[in-house]
Amino acid sequence: MAAEIDAELLSRVARGDRAAFACLVRRHSAPVLRFARSLVDAGSAEDVLQETFLAAYRKADTFRGAESARAWLLAIARNAARRLHRRPSPVLADEEALAELGARAGWGQTPSPLAAAEGAELRERLAAALERLAPADREAIVLRDLEGLTTAETAEVLGIRPGAVKTRLHRARLRLMGALRAGGRGQ
Amino acid sequence: MRRERSVGGLRCGEVLACLADYLAGELEARVRERVEAHLAGCDVCERFGGDYARVVACLRRILAAPDPPPDGFEERLLRAFEEAAGEPGH
Ligand SMILES: [Zn+2]
Repeated sequence: MAAEIDAELLSRVARGDRAAFACLVRRHSAPVLRFARSLVDAGSAEDVLQETFLAAYRKADTFRGAESARAWLLAIARNAARRLHRRPSPVLADEEALAELGARAGWGQTPSPLAAAEGAELRERLAAALERLAPADREAIVLRDLEGLTTAETAEVLGIRPGAVKTRLHRARLRLMGALRAGGRGQ
Repeated sequence: MRRERSVGGLRCGEVLACLADYLAGELEARVRERVEAHLAGCDVCERFGGDYARVVACLRRILAAPDPPPDGFEERLLRAFEEAAGEPGH
């Protein structure tokens, strides 16, 4: 149902329909802004957000065939962030052996990374650990775990194969667990 | 230090490698059963798998709701849209 609504909105947006545009913005601006904030500094995120929706209007007729409107918009946001900031594509962190990543994430170690953390403290620690990740790792986690995109949608946004999305996500989560352990309490 | 064990026909490293697919329910039944046999017999992987699942659940639960855009954003964007839509050529 949501897919049909978005497709209908976008076909009206392509014809310059202001109400449809406003509706599209209301449906998707918060998640697009969150993704933008994971790509650029807070001050530029709103520029990326505005540019995303204006670009969506300019090329609304290219939407057909995308996995979903959400994934399509997030891919536009990713391009807008790069264009506005002339950033190269995020460089992948070194491909360490999985066992090393696992060990730093707490595999075979104690205590567990989230021991004794809950509520607001847990939220803060997760956000801080996410902040410390390399952009490519953060992107994978934000798209799959926070935005709730499917593997196929994430593959479309990142322009990589679904198998590569799975590998990157798993490694990114292990690095996040490592960052949580390294950050500890009071970080 | 890590102890690499073979339990349920899988080594700990193999279980680590397929943890994400296991939690996503994307392993074929035969492999899933071996992972479960390993987890039942290996306290190291059982504990780590639980931590991994908790971290993912926390991300999804705690950070799932995005903050709304700042006040006035929608008005600014709609004005920009009207300008763009009013341009010749559209
Ligand atoms: Zn094990």
